[in-house]
Amino acid sequence: MFGTLVKRGLPLMAGLCALVGTTLVAAQGADAKELRVLAWQGYADEDWVKEFEEKSGADVNVVFIGTDDEIWAKIKGSEGKDFDLFAVNTAQLQRYIDAGLTTPIDLDNVPNQKAQLPIFSDLTKVKGVMRDGKVHAIPFCFDSIGLIYDTDKVNPAPTSMDVLWDAKYKGKVLAYDNGEHNFSFTALTLGIADPFNLTAAQMDEIKAKLVALKGNVLSFYSTADEALQIYQSNDVALIWANYGQQQVKAMQDAGAHIAYVNPSEGALAWLDTWALTSGVQDKELAEQWIDFVLQKKIGEQLSQRTGFGNTVAPSPNAGANDKLIYLEAVEDPTKRSDLWNEIKAAQ
Amino acid sequence: MSRRRFKPATASSHWPATGAVFAFPIAFILLPLAAFLAYSFFWTEQGVMSYALTLRNYARFFTDPVFLPVLRQTCVLCLEVAFLTVLAGYPVAYFLASLRGRIRYILLMLMLVPLLMSYVIKIYAIRSILGGHGALNRALLWLGLIDEPLTVFVFNLNAVLLTLTVLLIPFAVLPIFLSLERIPRSLMDASADLGASATQTFMRVILPLSLPGTITALTFVFVLAIGDFLTPQMVGGQSGFTFGRIIYSQFGTAFNWPFGAALSVILAVVVIAAIALGTIFGRDRSALK
Repeated sequence: MFGTLVKRGLPLMAGLCALVGTTLVAAQGADAKELRVLAWQGYADEDWVKEFEEKSGADVNVVFIGTDDEIWAKIKGSEGKDFDLFAVNTAQLQRYIDAGLTTPIDLDNVPNQKAQLPIFSDLTKVKGVMRDGKVHAIPFCFDSIGLIYDTDKVNPAPTSMDVLWDAKYKGKVLAYDNGEHNFSFTALTLGIADPFNLTAAQMDEIKAKLVALKGNVLSFYSTADEALQIYQSNDVALIWANYGQQQVKAMQDAGAHIAYVNPSEGALAWLDTWALTSGVQDKELAEQWIDFVLQKKIGEQLSQRTGFGNTVAPSPNAGANDKLIYLEAVEDPTKRSDLWNEIKAAQ
Repeated sequence: MSRRRFKPATASSHWPATGAVFAFPIAFILLPLAAFLAYSFFWTEQGVMSYALTLRNYARFFTDPVFLPVLRQTCVLCLEVAFLTVLAGYPVAYFLASLRGRIRYILLMLMLVPLLMSYVIKIYAIRSILGGHGALNRALLWLGLIDEPLTVFVFNLNAVLLTLTVLLIPFAVLPIFLSLERIPRSLMDASADLGASATQTFMRVILPLSLPGTITALTFVFVLAIGDFLTPQMVGGQSGFTFGRIIYSQFGTAFNWPFGAALSVILAVVVIAAIALGTIFGRDRSALK
């Protein structure tokens, strides 16, 4: 859901070109091996697809999706038969595994998986990708929700989201207008272990903490552009960076003196993975694709082109020791949203 | 001036045409409104919609301590906006009505040009002007009136008030202008002939006769302001919370359409009441003639 917003920003033209390209390719040889891919923009670029086709001798047919719900409609709608593999985030992945729409991956066919960055290579430590000892998905691409700070105004460099409550920065904090995420990150700041399943008492505690945060907040923003515009025309020191590195890049391009940090208590992050459908026709071919896109070269290109973090080459999205907490479905989104309204209405 | 009267065809003789005429408003206005009303009696629990009719959404509105104060605060804010726009719009309308010939309509058109611009762009622009490093603060600094940029103009209720006022002034000018324009010149001449000063003429003739338009302006602006969620969302910051923002959140993040629909129905009641009040007062005044 969160990744969707970010990905929509990617150029539509690239998608159109890729669609035309893949249709042409599909038309050429229907008798050869075929790989049917469902992916987000930027996850199956034309040059990669072409190289993979030459290497494997298969035809690759990519369909791009724009929302999480669209993936569900396409995979569930055909009971997994219309595609061989798909890209999905770890929060969403759970309902596919629950519904038996995935096929476990044989890691022997994906040698590049072992060369992934340390925070991703041990799949038992990546929450959500394994179930009952089997690997249902392999991490591919992520972004963290860290903290952007103005290097001229914030000294020393912050290490925790705690700094948002620092009275020094009263009226200089930009927060994000979303109750769900705000409850999760505040839970982490308060040292609550599971920020996605809060008890009523924990929610009350967080609510009080967020009401206190309001005193420091200049405004709540919704889009990355909006945050940049507010930053440019006001005295802003700290930004809770919902859009991660994309936001950082846009601000640096505009000449802002800023830096980015993932808080030590753990940064919320989304993580997109590759999963095989239950209707996969050529399992080995699909696994070859995953192995292919886990090359360092492709990871670097991915980060360069999209601003997202890849899982094989270091990127500014997360350092080697950063603690990433992958977003999960929360206990009660409506309740969080109602409480968020109460917080905003509090005097 | 002769007036051509539009004679509607009788329903019996042209029923297909009549049907077509009614079909459009029924399909695109009445049905959606009815759907809203129906939704307000449903209920959502844990993201699952229950279609059993209930009054729980309305009960929640009246019992939860959040909603009534925000609605009251929003009504007060929009009344302030309405009075400010009329205060600023009346002299403009008066000036326009006092002009003669083509220049009057050229100026009127120029005044309406901002309405052709995107609403969002205007809010962005105003937000830049009001911001800490904005044009307003820089001007005040340059004039030496302040030593440090003021933060009272943006991301609070003042900002919502200022922005809505600026954006809605054209909607106040237009009805006032129309009512001023309709006052016959002869009445003012008669007033002057009878020895009234300019002030007396204004107070005793022009002002009472333009009151219906002024009240229409107040109603117009109030209704437009109270339905707006974008302006408070963008310039309201952490303290400028309004009823429109609550409704917006019910449809966006909370995914609680029934409760959002109930809140919208309540807002619609407020709006209808405002229009009814405007009509009553507008009519009473014009009856004084």
